[in-house]
Amino acid sequence: MSTAVRTTDLAERARRLTEPRTIAILGIACGVLAFWLALPPWTTRGLGWPLAAGIIAVACGIAAVPRGERKLGYYAIGLGILGTIGALWLQGKDAATLDSILTAGVLASTLRFATPLAFAAIGGIFSERSGVVNIGLEGMMLTGAFFGIWGSVWSGSWVVGLLMAMLFGGLLALIHAFFSIHLQADQIVSGFAVNFLALGLTGYLFSSIYPGGIHENVSRVPNIDLDFLSSIPGIGDFLEGVFGHLNLLVWLMLVVVVLAYVVLFKTPIGLRIRSVGEHPKAADTVGISVYGVRYAAVVASGVLAALGGAFLSIGFVGSFAENMTSGRGFIALAAVIFGKWRPGWSFAACLLFGFGFAVAIPLQREAGISENLISTLPYVLTLVALVGLIGRSIPPAAVGRPYIKQ
Amino acid sequence: MLRPYNLPPMADAPLLELRGITKQFPGVLANDRVDFELAKGEVHALLGENGAGKSTLMNIVYGLYHPDEGEIRLDGKPVRIGSPRDAIDLGIGMVHQHFMLIPVMTVAENIVLANEPTKGPFLDLPSAEARVRELSKQFGLEVRPEARVASISVGMQQRAEILKALYRGAEILILDEPTAVLTPQEARELFAILRSLQAEGKSIVFISHKLNEVLEIADRITVLRQGKRIDTVPGAGATQEGLARLMVGREVVLRVEKPPAEPGETLLSVEDLTVRDERDLEAVRGVSFDVKAGEIVGIAGVDGNGQTELIDALTGLRRPSGGRILAAGEDITSASARECLDLGVGHIPEDRQVRGLVLDFTLAENLALHDFRKEPDSKWGWLYPKRLVQRAGRLLKEFDVRGGRPQTLAAALSGGNQQKVVVAREVSRDPRILVAAQPTRGLDVGAIEFVHRRLVQERDEGRAILLVSFELEEILSLSDRILVLYEGRVAGEYAPGVSEEELGIAMTGGRKQAA
Amino acid sequence: MTTAPSEPGDPRATVTAWFSSRVGGILVPLAATTLAFLIGGLVVAVTGHNPLTAYKAIFEGTGLNWFFPWVAGETREEAANDLQQTLILMTPLVLTGLAVAFAFRCGLFNIGGQGQYWVGFFAGLYIGTNLEGTPRPLHILLALGGGILAGALWGGIAGLLKATVGAHEVITTIMLNWIAIFGGSYLVEIGGPLQGRQPSIPRSDDVFPSAELWPIWGSLPALHAGIFIALFALVVYYVLLNRTTLGYEVRAVGFNPEAARYGGISVAKNYFLALAISGGFAGLAGSVDLLGFKGGVSTGDFSTNLIAFTGIAVALLGRNKAVGILFAALLFAALQVGTSTRQLDPEVFEPALATDLATIIQALVIFFVGAEFLILYAWRARRFLGSQPRIRPELER
Repeated sequence: MSTAVRTTDLAERARRLTEPRTIAILGIACGVLAFWLALPPWTTRGLGWPLAAGIIAVACGIAAVPRGERKLGYYAIGLGILGTIGALWLQGKDAATLDSILTAGVLASTLRFATPLAFAAIGGIFSERSGVVNIGLEGMMLTGAFFGIWGSVWSGSWVVGLLMAMLFGGLLALIHAFFSIHLQADQIVSGFAVNFLALGLTGYLFSSIYPGGIHENVSRVPNIDLDFLSSIPGIGDFLEGVFGHLNLLVWLMLVVVVLAYVVLFKTPIGLRIRSVGEHPKAADTVGISVYGVRYAAVVASGVLAALGGAFLSIGFVGSFAENMTSGRGFIALAAVIFGKWRPGWSFAACLLFGFGFAVAIPLQREAGISENLISTLPYVLTLVALVGLIGRSIPPAAVGRPYIKQ
Repeated sequence: MLRPYNLPPMADAPLLELRGITKQFPGVLANDRVDFELAKGEVHALLGENGAGKSTLMNIVYGLYHPDEGEIRLDGKPVRIGSPRDAIDLGIGMVHQHFMLIPVMTVAENIVLANEPTKGPFLDLPSAEARVRELSKQFGLEVRPEARVASISVGMQQRAEILKALYRGAEILILDEPTAVLTPQEARELFAILRSLQAEGKSIVFISHKLNEVLEIADRITVLRQGKRIDTVPGAGATQEGLARLMVGREVVLRVEKPPAEPGETLLSVEDLTVRDERDLEAVRGVSFDVKAGEIVGIAGVDGNGQTELIDALTGLRRPSGGRILAAGEDITSASARECLDLGVGHIPEDRQVRGLVLDFTLAENLALHDFRKEPDSKWGWLYPKRLVQRAGRLLKEFDVRGGRPQTLAAALSGGNQQKVVVAREVSRDPRILVAAQPTRGLDVGAIEFVHRRLVQERDEGRAILLVSFELEEILSLSDRILVLYEGRVAGEYAPGVSEEELGIAMTGGRKQAA
Repeated sequence: MTTAPSEPGDPRATVTAWFSSRVGGILVPLAATTLAFLIGGLVVAVTGHNPLTAYKAIFEGTGLNWFFPWVAGETREEAANDLQQTLILMTPLVLTGLAVAFAFRCGLFNIGGQGQYWVGFFAGLYIGTNLEGTPRPLHILLALGGGILAGALWGGIAGLLKATVGAHEVITTIMLNWIAIFGGSYLVEIGGPLQGRQPSIPRSDDVFPSAELWPIWGSLPALHAGIFIALFALVVYYVLLNRTTLGYEVRAVGFNPEAARYGGISVAKNYFLALAISGGFAGLAGSVDLLGFKGGVSTGDFSTNLIAFTGIAVALLGRNKAVGILFAALLFAALQVGTSTRQLDPEVFEPALATDLATIIQALVIFFVGAEFLILYAWRARRFLGSQPRIRPELER
């Protein structure tokens, strides 16, 4: 195990450079490059460069596959071909169009779209790290979205809206916790029921409280203006474009991601949460309350997911629609797996999926692709990510299994 | 057990005293009015067969179970132990048979869990490691605090478990079958540690079903049988035979009666086999051996030395990364599990509940697990449930499976009867080669005898039998030849007359132990 | 006690045994349903409506009173109409319920019925709006077959991903749902490839009459022959699971994949097959709905259709058993018809609320059926606590 780490001599390093894995990764990079060459800042026109990069990618892949690095090798081959085709297709479009698709605005909206996902994903990490699968994230987001706007309209203050969202998201999570921890129900079934319950309940309350829709002025979570960013020489405008006018909740989300990392990996609480998710009986025998930790983690996940939902209703749109989360909870869940149950990596995955949402709008506007068709992009991206890059991730050992106290 | 103790007079009141402990599980009376006492500074062995109620009793002391009746007294005062937390606070520590360590965390993290040293709100790992080092030196328990549990030896894991209890200030230490995973030499090391702990004034409960160990280490021995306390005797003066009679309730045959083997042609031939494990590390590294018709070849070794991977490779459940396997002349190196079955390789798996049986299937369905695709069970993909039931009826009778009809769910049977179902299925298929992995794990004496007799009978019918077991006694009493597996290699071949000592040395790679 | 031969401390063993017994198998779903309706009534009451009148109105909208012999005259005709609607809805619910149940038996949770339904629907639509002049039975068979295949393909994608890279089916099937829903919207949107003859309406053409299923009862719309297909599918489901080697393999994998592998069964193959067959059932549901009474589809139809999600409740309440699925499908079909805009008098209870109430009740049913322990609590408490105090107090906390 540790021998590979200890080796430092040059011969070993040289050997590793020619390993099939390295070759395959190089191939993947070339495949991406083939596509990227047609995009800003290169905006290459002509067949030559993308084709060359594509061929190298395929070659690397072909070299890697028979040497044991099958999966990455196949990706290199696939990406080489797709990248080249994509690049040629893009060349058919106007280069100026491409410039307008990839702007600071898109990056800012990537962050915006990633925010609800990241809140839910961090929540999911807490829940799953403690050993409880939470596919109810979707419903908890939806609950947050509804009660966020309800609290905001009722009190006239977005602060109350957020508090209400967190309260009811936490309550819904408590139901999930009770069923999956105490009653030892199948956690996936219980999570699914949570989603269904949230769908019915928010729909019912929405029709019941606002029969004609919401006409009041909704108090929304404010944006944070950082105008000084534009005074930074060189990249100031770009920075201001990306970070200058983000919603308060976006910044809160970034704080939550960092905090989640610190709590999970640098504090006793995190050690206990992880121990419960890995080996609940071991935790029990040293006096940790397995049920207590799991309840806390699941409720925390509901509170966080609800914040993500509230961002959708009172941070982003300023209204509510039935089933407005449209699968985001599940995308968040995919991000959890994609990020191997680590806050930082999962956040990165959320950014990727957020990017899928964000480019949809300019792509549709500039390239004239059907809105419905382009709406499938984030879901396709999630699917591809699940298939491609994670493979069989190893979840916390006890995840999904109820702990039966003797 | 109403009669008074016949104990040597003790100077002080007992440190820990259990009175009339009764614990009922659905269908099982695990403890029936059990009395037990532990004096300060003694090593008290709790002896009994599998299922005698030893672990249940000690899990009650550790707060994992709650007694239905009875009283626990500590230093003469009645105490209520509602959870492990309570037990820890009362100075009780327990090393479970299945270690309560989290494999992905480090030794230090495991030891300090729930009592972590902190710096402000943060975990202070360096001082945790320092504290572990200190304790480790104090009690002579060598561990590497910064190593991940998954990557250290079983012996070190056990030391980490003991340190875990000592870190929490345990005065009473309960060890549940601590030698089950150790070689004889490692066991001796453990005994030395226990002696030194005893010298430090700790009191120890030692749970075991192995007579020789109990005789070696214990000051007093309490024997449990079927949930009842049978007797408590001083360690000095007790004999193996006497204890065995108390434990089982009748005279026991310690050796299996069997005629000498008459090996025939080679049926299983393994050449330079290498197999990788889940983590893609080589677990079997160039193993070669033969098994002939009509002989039992035993594979001894401590758990985790490549046995699982070897068995999986032989039965088509894992593809070897190198070498060759021939079954009756056919190359099955890269055959699937199904092809192996069809070529006459039978397999009694290590864990009947995880692998051997589909617990939610009926016995009839379980008995068809290998053959349901063939006539008469099915034809053209069409299953004939009635025929499954008919065959099951026949087999259940032949193999004396009690407590179940063909339509009974496998989950409803006791462990011994479940194992009989597995054996019935494997043997009734008339395999030429039979791989038996831990075939008597967790069984009581009656069931063990049944399985052993059956294995010898199958041998005499001309099958080639490969027996893999962590129980040296089983290996020694059944095998016609013995191979020792150490770190994925064959560390030696022995005749059945070999001593446990000698096998033990091979099982640790032939190194001299620093005892 | 040292290893796990008997696991005497595992209360699940007792509970599971009781559950698989016939009494438990009927009592628990009944209790779960009753409890769900009670709590649903509570929601109605809290929001200022009378639950009794609401439930009565919903029941009268289901048409189930047709079975009462004393209902006569105009009420009876109305009841017949309502019952036809209930049975029309029951048909796809049986099929999507089977889709979920089949995957369940292989240990997989297919939340992707909705996507598979739509893909089957569109395959049927494509065949039904083309091939003019094909004789009726053949045209119907082709369209239904197309639906099954397309659904199987869509489910098979998730199955393939599960079998090859181990991607969790819950997430992949949900993603495939959204892809099918947005993709389907794209197909029939204005300017979409399958948009019909009227350029200003985002709706497909209707299928040719030669592809329509035969009406058998009533006319508003009529109960169609699809109900027989659903009943036949129930038989297929039972036979496939219990009388074939495929079913044996699927069940073995579902109960214990490791034992199945040891028995020489390919777990990956069965994951793929189970999700493909599961998708086939859902795809059939889509094409039967299309050929039976829908005829075509508009972009607005996608968001209101939760048929496959209800199918999950059907499978859970029916305990994955053929007969159970039939009754569960009838219950939920009745509930949805009874709460639909058409059947429910808005003076009594607003349909907008009632539809969501139906969703809430379904969610509660899933909760209660899934939590075997909840309903057993009283039973356990009586049996254990009565005779022996303090047996397992920690379970009662």
